[in-house]
Amino acid sequence: MRAFAYAAPATVAEAVDALVALGPGAKFLAGGTNLYDLMRLEVETPPAVVDIHRLAGFEAIDTAGATELIFGAGARMSDVADDPVVRAEYPALSESLRLAASQQLRNMATVGGNLLQRTRCGYFRGGSQYPCNKREPGSGCAARGGIDSGHAVLGVSDACIATYPGDWAVALLAFDATIDVAGPHGERSVAVAELHLEPGDTPQREHTLAADELILRIRVPVSRAGAGSTYLKIRPRESYAFALASAAAGLSLDPGGTVSDCRIALGGVATRPWRCTAAEQSLLGGRLTTDAARRAGEIAFADARPGRHNAFKIELGIRTVAEALRIAAERAAR
Amino acid sequence: MTAAAARPRVDARAKVTGAARYGTDRTPEGLAYAAMAVATVGKGRVVEIDTAAAAAVAGVRLVLTRFEASELKPPVYIMAGGHAVQSLQPLLSDHIAYRGQPIALVVADTPVAATEAANRVCARYEAAPFALELDDEDAEKLRQPEALPVPALADIAVGDAEAVFAGSEVRVDEVYDHPKQAATPMELLGCVVEWRGDTVVVHEGTQNAGALRNGLALQLGIDPADVEVISPYLGGGFGQKNSLQPHLGPVALAARRLGRPVKFVMTRPQTFHQGSFRPASRHRVRLGADGNGRLTAAIYEVDQETSRHDLFPAMYTEAMSRLYGVPNFSGPTRLVRVDTQTPGYMRAPFESPASFAFESAVDELAYAVGRDPVALRLANDTGTDPITGQPFSSRHVAECLRRGAERFGWAARDPAPGSMRADDGSLIGWGVAIGAYPACVAPAIAHVRAGADGRVVVAVDGHEMGQGIRSAITFLVADDLGIAVDRVTVDIGDTRVAPQHLTAGSWGTASALPAVHAALRELRARLGVAETGMLDVGAAVAAAGQPTVEAEAATLGPGQPPEMLDRSRAGKVAFTGPVYPGFTSFSFVAHFVEVRIEATTRRVRVPRVVSVVDCGRVASAVTAASQVRGGVVWGLGAALREASEPERRYGGFFNATMEEYVISVNADIGEIEVDFIDEPDPLLNPVGVKGLGEVALVGVVPAVTNAVFHATGQRLRRVPITIADLL
Repeated sequence: MRAFAYAAPATVAEAVDALVALGPGAKFLAGGTNLYDLMRLEVETPPAVVDIHRLAGFEAIDTAGATELIFGAGARMSDVADDPVVRAEYPALSESLRLAASQQLRNMATVGGNLLQRTRCGYFRGGSQYPCNKREPGSGCAARGGIDSGHAVLGVSDACIATYPGDWAVALLAFDATIDVAGPHGERSVAVAELHLEPGDTPQREHTLAADELILRIRVPVSRAGAGSTYLKIRPRESYAFALASAAAGLSLDPGGTVSDCRIALGGVATRPWRCTAAEQSLLGGRLTTDAARRAGEIAFADARPGRHNAFKIELGIRTVAEALRIAAERAAR
Repeated sequence: MTAAAARPRVDARAKVTGAARYGTDRTPEGLAYAAMAVATVGKGRVVEIDTAAAAAVAGVRLVLTRFEASELKPPVYIMAGGHAVQSLQPLLSDHIAYRGQPIALVVADTPVAATEAANRVCARYEAAPFALELDDEDAEKLRQPEALPVPALADIAVGDAEAVFAGSEVRVDEVYDHPKQAATPMELLGCVVEWRGDTVVVHEGTQNAGALRNGLALQLGIDPADVEVISPYLGGGFGQKNSLQPHLGPVALAARRLGRPVKFVMTRPQTFHQGSFRPASRHRVRLGADGNGRLTAAIYEVDQETSRHDLFPAMYTEAMSRLYGVPNFSGPTRLVRVDTQTPGYMRAPFESPASFAFESAVDELAYAVGRDPVALRLANDTGTDPITGQPFSSRHVAECLRRGAERFGWAARDPAPGSMRADDGSLIGWGVAIGAYPACVAPAIAHVRAGADGRVVVAVDGHEMGQGIRSAITFLVADDLGIAVDRVTVDIGDTRVAPQHLTAGSWGTASALPAVHAALRELRARLGVAETGMLDVGAAVAAAGQPTVEAEAATLGPGQPPEMLDRSRAGKVAFTGPVYPGFTSFSFVAHFVEVRIEATTRRVRVPRVVSVVDCGRVASAVTAASQVRGGVVWGLGAALREASEPERRYGGFFNATMEEYVISVNADIGEIEVDFIDEPDPLLNPVGVKGLGEVALVGVVPAVTNAVFHATGQRLRRVPITIADLL
């Protein structure tokens, strides 16, 4: 790790000012569970960090509203996961948090910072011994043609196949969440669907926020499909591992059992949180049969592009979608 | 369980409160911190090394890239009669034998500065082609008996296995692959080295303080009497800490040059590239049997990796040839040289991969003849060592199978694959496998001192790596003399009190306890009291008119010549077994495993395991059960998760972190029921103990894979079995 300057302002405005004042490369630091880790690996070498984890009011959770749930960006993953309204009415959101990392990490990590968690690609994290277009643009991609069993099959490019690692953003994407951000020129809102970028030719650009913009809060519109939802995460062990494949699924069923609302988003298989609109539409207006659920999974992976060792993620992903839909339908029918 | 049997680990409180001091917990006055820079090519030569940026980091005191052979002699590999984990000593030449080999040692005032400076060391290399896997073009294949022409490593052969196999009514002929696996214990490799005048004091978690003492002395050209190695606890050994490590010499020289004590702790990724590991192995098993599954012949061929610079002896056939009464057996063994650090002994180093292959094949035979896998194994049991024709000193594997089957409820098993389902639709699979591990013995010297205050201090060869040897010794002394456990102090892992022969191969307890037992006999003689029975130690010592009474005893394995004690004192390996004059000794185990495989997503879960062990007398019930659970946990990981992945383009191991190298977590582990036969072995030693730590792991992997076959009908001959195999 390299030495760095440190500032800990008290308000959002001061934080944005501090970041600008500390110059290029300065980073916001929230829970520290990702940035410090990457700094120890020297994958991130910011000359300065602005510690935002104690900003006033930054961790407020408001789940009592009639139109939306509001999560302060500084709220801890564990606190949002355990919120009684989130648990009861949006199990996919709660599960996406509870199945992430470990309890110790969830107690530190924030729901705002988690959205921008960087990939776990071992070639990216392995440092200068491996070429990586994300870490060093133009250097090449060691993962292509390498040990790619954990890598993405959707949204990949010739420049990068690194998997977006998070769970929470996948669930938020399924529920049409929006974030509010603050920068030197004021505040704006960004749909989570517009937040993350596919790698294309510029894998170093992972999201649409400017370096000096700070996520303030996450807003999730109230939805009936929340109660009929799940986040199913398949991984190489029962806890403390990133997804091989995951699916956030939410369903509303009319009294006759016909699907009236359907949400499907994928994690662990794509370069960004991956919404499956065509798969969702395939289920609307019909009954959720085993075959229909399987077919929705197949639609979701129709454009998958496997590498050397990760083709299994296509079949696993299809089954994960089907199983998540089965669980969601059970909950929706209650 | 009796009250005596349920006694807790004697150092449990010290360990959980942090009072127990491990090697690198020491922080002597003026301590400096070392870190290593490592090679980033798979093989080749350092052409140029730039240390200016490293030296410029604030607080850096030394940046060392090369030692002269006059100040640091290359060590001799432990299995070539020396003391070291490998023969290659980094920092002696420009040759790079494997990715991750150290190219510089940095010493600084703080660990942060040392780490940063190590990262600033910049090298230019001339890269060379390298081999990392069994099938790689440059991997050199050697017939072991030719490469290592010693009697102990001759291929095992009895009868005419080829001919009998060819004429057998039923034949199984399959190949099984086992990957490289890494042991990176919680306590990382490392040391604290301090010079006190001409004496160098080494604090290092090691299973072999004697080898560190003598090996370091040879490397530095000093008298072993001037080296003290202190290792009262290890935070996990698993074989990786079984000898002199390449870091110790350079750190000792840095400490002398700097005139300050120096601490070195290897990073986790470096441990994957410098610590010894379980090499990959390939196993072709041919079993011949009659129509009832009675084995007539077994041909068990093994290829095992070794390094380019050392020959790590492969002994897969030793235990597998004794699992059953197979009259015709042959075990041709080959070594395959690849470009890594020297692989080594990782818990049940040969026996766990071997059992995966052999016990999978036996399961395949059971299905081929349509016989229950437990019944088939019982039908092939033997009381005689089929290789030597000698009796086993004790062998209760049939009772392990019967008792395990009873506890597990095996009788309710429907043998048809895919026939058993849970309420949630999951496939249920039940699998069984047995294991064996040689019961070996090493020389040991025990010294006991009884005080008028009623306390007894025992000093003996042995290292506490969590297996519970300190507890076993304490209980032996307390029970022998009839005194309370807290009256007994045990000093182990310390070259100031005993030679400290290597503790490994599950011989630790079976070596230390007989020595302590003999020293207690001597103590009783000196006190003039009865040879057995309760003793008022304080009164007996007072009656002798001394403040303390001391006694010492040295013991050897059955049939071992006394010269072996000299070998032990010289820090060399001096064990014997499992073939002794007149008998053969192995420990045995039977594992029963239930897997459940989700119907749609095919996740594998292991809700329960039943393990029954024959390790002779159980010397410490609580720590023994804990050992078995630990072995089972590791076996579940080996079957379903663990593998080191070589990066064939860049060299080294890709998944060299605890994130990427997937081991089981608590949530993966279900119920593990452990039982012991607890019958003292009548021949091996007067205490009746055999080994336990390694046999616990042997057979877990095939019990899992056999259960997966039972659940799915898929016979998977490569571990780990992952979800990708089951979709």
